[in-house]
Amino acid sequence: MVDPWALPEIDLAACTRCGQCVAQCPTQAVEMRAVGPVIVRPQDCTYCTLCEDVCPVGAIACAFEITWDVPTTG
Amino acid sequence: MPDRQHARVHALRDIQLFASHTPHVTLSESALACIAEVVTPRAYPAETLVVVEGELCEAAYFIIAGNVEVYRMSLQGRQQVLARLGPGQAFNTVPLFQGDGRNHASVIARTDVTLYALLREDFQHALYSCPDLALVILRDFADRLTHLTDLVEDLALRSVRGRLARFLLQQADGTAIAQKWTQDEMAAYLGTVRDMIGRSLRALTDERMIRLDRGRIVLLDRAALEAEAQN
Repeated sequence: MVDPWALPEIDLAACTRCGQCVAQCPTQAVEMRAVGPVIVRPQDCTYCTLCEDVCPVGAIACAFEITWDVPTTG
Repeated sequence: MPDRQHARVHALRDIQLFASHTPHVTLSESALACIAEVVTPRAYPAETLVVVEGELCEAAYFIIAGNVEVYRMSLQGRQQVLARLGPGQAFNTVPLFQGDGRNHASVIARTDVTLYALLREDFQHALYSCPDLALVILRDFADRLTHLTDLVEDLALRSVRGRLARFLLQQADGTAIAQKWTQDEMAAYLGTVRDMIGRSLRALTDERMIRLDRGRIVLLDRAALEAEAQN
């Protein structure tokens, strides 16, 4: 089952609040809030994985399911 | 047979090591009962280290529920994942036979896991008292040797793109444990770095072999991916 709203998972316990994910997000979907970085505009997130790439402590995970293309019916 | 013992024998029957399809090397009921008597159930939460590379080997483990990852780490912090294992699989049997008796690799719980631990001295005692256990262990070692030979072939002879194509096919065909993968995890599994995985995924996308959806890598062209996997 495709999850159309799959979003990067942010581990706030591991996050150092460095702000790299906020600065690098190409669509400004993530903002720094009191609790840490939050994806405030999920509809703008393209799941490009850049936030995961730039996080220096590995606190962001963009996981992929690997499947065959299944033609839809109807 | 007490209920607890019966439940353990039942769970041990699902361990691949003990449930061969080859009749001559299937573990007898008496051997299963002998092992069930000495195994200890252990539970580990996700992301807990079960075995630490270099430490004295305490036990062999059989996975009842959950998934673990077996890996080695270089001094520079680079990780090579050797295997991801799930219910029915066993790990840490090799160092029990070796002189120094140290764990060869670290094992981390990737999900909450339930294991049966078979302590070193109980394992060796079981081997002496149940010769058919020695046979199934030998068969398991042969399987492990094949897996590691394939891994060496992959690392030495295939390009990152080739390894990635093969990995994607294995995952999508369901021949490996089903789970989600980050690019870092794929890199550790395939003996490369995240940048190379990102570049290779983009290249396979450009060539219409795969499509990257939100949270999903969709395989589109089996023939092209199989050809790529030979490179």
